[in-house]
Amino acid sequence: MIDTTSQDPAVAIEEPAGRRADLAPPLSTPLGTLPRLLVLFLVAGLIVVPLLATAVGGFKELGELRTNPFGLPKVWQWQNYWGILETARYWRILGNSLFIASMTVALTLAVAAPAAFAFAHLRFFGHRFLFNYLILGLTFPFATAILPLFIKIRDLGLLDTHWGVILPQVAFSQAVSILLLRNAFRQLPGELLESALVDGCGYIRFFLWITLPLSRPILATVAVISFVVSWNNFLLPLVVLNTPARYPWTLGLMDYQGEFMVAWQLILAFITLTILPAMIMFVLAQKHLVAGLTAGAVKG
Amino acid sequence: MAETTSFPATRHGGPRGGGLLTALIFLPPALTFFTVFVILPIGEAAWYGFFNWNGLNLLENFVGFENYVQLVGNKVFSRAFVNNLLIIAISLSIQLPLALAMAVLLADRLFGAVGFRMLFFLPYILADVAAGLIWRFMFDGDYGLISQIAQGIGFAPLHLLADRDWAYVAVLTVIVWKYFGFHMMLYVAGLQSIDRHLYEAAAIDGASSWQRFRFITIPGLAPMIRLSVFFSLLGSLQFFDMIVALTGGGPLNTTHTMVSFLYYFGIGRMRVGFGSAVGVVLFILCATVAFSYKRLFMRDD
Amino acid sequence: MTKKALAGAGLVLALAMGPALAEDVTVNLLHVNQTGDPFWKQIAENYNASHPGVKVVVDYLENEAYKAKLPTLLQSDDRPDIIYSWAGGVMKAQIEAGYIEDISAHKADFEQTIYGAPLNAYVVDGKLYGVSIQLSEVLMIYNKDLMAKAGVDAASMQTWDGFLDGVKKIKAAGITPLIMGGGDKWPVHFLWSYLLMRQGGADVLLNAEAKPDGFKAQAFIDAGNRLKELAALEPFQDGWLGTKYLPSQGLFGDGKGAIAIQLNGFIQGQQKNATDGKGIANEQIGLAPFPSLPGGIGKVSDTLGGLQGFLVTKGAPKEAIDFLKFFATAEQQKAAAEAGVYVPAIKGTDAFIKNPLVAEVAQSIANSTWHQNFLDQELGPSVGRVVNDISVAIAAGDMTPEEGAGQVQVAWDQQ
Repeated sequence: MIDTTSQDPAVAIEEPAGRRADLAPPLSTPLGTLPRLLVLFLVAGLIVVPLLATAVGGFKELGELRTNPFGLPKVWQWQNYWGILETARYWRILGNSLFIASMTVALTLAVAAPAAFAFAHLRFFGHRFLFNYLILGLTFPFATAILPLFIKIRDLGLLDTHWGVILPQVAFSQAVSILLLRNAFRQLPGELLESALVDGCGYIRFFLWITLPLSRPILATVAVISFVVSWNNFLLPLVVLNTPARYPWTLGLMDYQGEFMVAWQLILAFITLTILPAMIMFVLAQKHLVAGLTAGAVKG
Repeated sequence: MAETTSFPATRHGGPRGGGLLTALIFLPPALTFFTVFVILPIGEAAWYGFFNWNGLNLLENFVGFENYVQLVGNKVFSRAFVNNLLIIAISLSIQLPLALAMAVLLADRLFGAVGFRMLFFLPYILADVAAGLIWRFMFDGDYGLISQIAQGIGFAPLHLLADRDWAYVAVLTVIVWKYFGFHMMLYVAGLQSIDRHLYEAAAIDGASSWQRFRFITIPGLAPMIRLSVFFSLLGSLQFFDMIVALTGGGPLNTTHTMVSFLYYFGIGRMRVGFGSAVGVVLFILCATVAFSYKRLFMRDD
Repeated sequence: MTKKALAGAGLVLALAMGPALAEDVTVNLLHVNQTGDPFWKQIAENYNASHPGVKVVVDYLENEAYKAKLPTLLQSDDRPDIIYSWAGGVMKAQIEAGYIEDISAHKADFEQTIYGAPLNAYVVDGKLYGVSIQLSEVLMIYNKDLMAKAGVDAASMQTWDGFLDGVKKIKAAGITPLIMGGGDKWPVHFLWSYLLMRQGGADVLLNAEAKPDGFKAQAFIDAGNRLKELAALEPFQDGWLGTKYLPSQGLFGDGKGAIAIQLNGFIQGQQKNATDGKGIANEQIGLAPFPSLPGGIGKVSDTLGGLQGFLVTKGAPKEAIDFLKFFATAEQQKAAAEAGVYVPAIKGTDAFIKNPLVAEVAQSIANSTWHQNFLDQELGPSVGRVVNDISVAIAAGDMTPEEGAGQVQVAWDQQ
């Protein structure tokens, strides 16, 4: 279910690295192949139809949505889509989302990685307490804090600014990020650190020159999770941002819908265009994640 | 997640001073962010909850537990609470089993399995608001496909989202549509980690497909299922974005969740004290669910 | 295609870096008048052309979205300099919170160009905080063709019993009697408000606010009962609970219903938002006052409507006030008056009103014996919302009139 601290789904996307799958007979299921395919296509259809209806609907005239709901447009209204692509508004909201998400990822990693390292390797008074303190954050609902958070951001003068969105996002992603990173850091051979310390290399240098480079896959995973959460975030920007010029695409979409409420064909086109980046990123990230994880599997 | 192997702590502490200095540099940023933007606001929410405050004037109208009393008596909130429970119920009874079924169908190397998996996962990556709007269109009484299909069969146009009995059913449908793929992926990962030899051995011993499923698959998937349910529970309590996009709280406030209630009735009406009380209730629920679930079902992390 | 993408990317970069610092003073104005928007943007352009060094930017936001955003909007440092207002309790709350600029120093100037009574709505404790720009009235707007088809004469619907009869007849003819944007809630509260006014008369609200349990007075219960009575006839279109305001205009414009009890702005709105973009032509539209209630104290000439205008927010540049002075002149309002998109509260604009419907409305407001501001604005932000909620609930049969009145009382007491 929805969760801002999500389990890494990339693990599931990966194909088994090789060994087990070769040996095994297929996982037994009660179904033969044809019924199985039928079921799969049915479910696939339920997924595809709304998305397709949205994309194609954007090419119709408003009246045609009612008179010709299932067919292809009689006349393809390219102008619906062009009209949106030509506006600064469309690119601006995507640019805002990109800026916010990128900054969130950069800052999250910059802050969480050192902390995770400290929890992974250092023993100091209260380290267990502090770790549990942070992990508590895994279960805190963002919505609980939304009102005081709004007031705090207002008092900090960050209302209606991108940083007012970025900073809380970074804060809320610390728990998951530190958890994942700490676990990954601990997977690295202990001898490396020991010998480095013996050789006089300090913790910080070890962290920068050994831990981080070796942890690229997990860093990428944390980056992707933070990016996606930020990219799709709605409640926080809704409360913090007021100027349409600063809206990320989620607010921009609802804003557009509010303005063009009666013109479903335009709204459908707008929806299609705004979810397109996410879909493209999904396809691209797939390959990267698979590569990153299989690389990790080989190394481990 | 499995318990990580941790090195013996004694093996590396290094020169005491170096470790401490590093810790002092590495930890404060994360802790500061976390404390300022997560912990403090939650504490403040508890504080504000005792006041009748619009967020603008001075914080001076202390009303004790009255916000909470109002909350208990508030019909819309009660309905919102029930709605959250319904999400959990539907998730456990429909969504997760559906995800499991799909995972079972797709875990092995059926040609195109990866394609199907990606497709089923696709709704999950869409933002809730986008999915909500897409389905708002689908359910629209005049232009939506659902209504058109009904009209094709001979019914009058269906205004599901305007119907106080059916609007939430529509919402629940969209939730299942959007999230089953995520859980499916968890189960696929879990399925792929079950040792195939167990199945071979069982088959040799004459176990039926159903028996293999019940005694190998399910137990093997148990950690994943527990995790999946955990996320499902916590996520259900925080539902908001899709409500705004689909119904805005729905006809006659029948499709609110606790968070949308907080937004519309707390923030929207500038009743910060009241809204904070809602937030605190939400927090207590989440914390209770998280901790009791962990203790009862998950001894690992 | 690539060129456009590059341009787009460049735009993204430029905008992400932050706006180029202009030397001009910028004045931001935010409002909700969809049909007035192009005219107001034109006035801004006129001003910008004749006032180098100042840039007035006019932005439109949909009604409900505006109301939802406004509380947080006001708290930001980047709040608009001029905001749209319906006066009343909501305005008072904004003033009390310290977000509105006192512009009493300019009162004399504005009194030259704006009618006294509407301008007074923006005076609180003797101080002027904003200016009234447009007047509006809620009345019975009907589609002449559809009424004729149903064989109903609008004149017969001037009494409550006649109104109910008319509704039944229209429904029997297979036409939706009342188009209602229940999804936004506030359109429904017009019905409740008018029923309250007709039943209780001009003092009904003053009494309610003054006395303990004043909102549970009999007039309120009666109003609720009348609403229930009407709703029992199922006069609204299918799915009305989900229909928002703008789509409801579209439905009327598509000829899907005979009557809308709505603001005069609805007339232009339904033309704009109809599927064919043309809607019902002015000649096909009839106007009538809200029916009278038997035994009610209120008069048929009492009108429910708005005294909409602008407020200046704290910290706005003085050019904002200057712009308002420019805005509130007959000359600048001429185009809007001629197009009939709203009734200006500016002196001298009567002569420009060409649209006979708008002229009718202007006349009606001028002759009004009691012009009551929208209740969901008048009563303040949180009570107003409750009034909207209970109106919908009573109309949907989900709540008794007693419960509804009780909830309003509770909300009033809790403020």
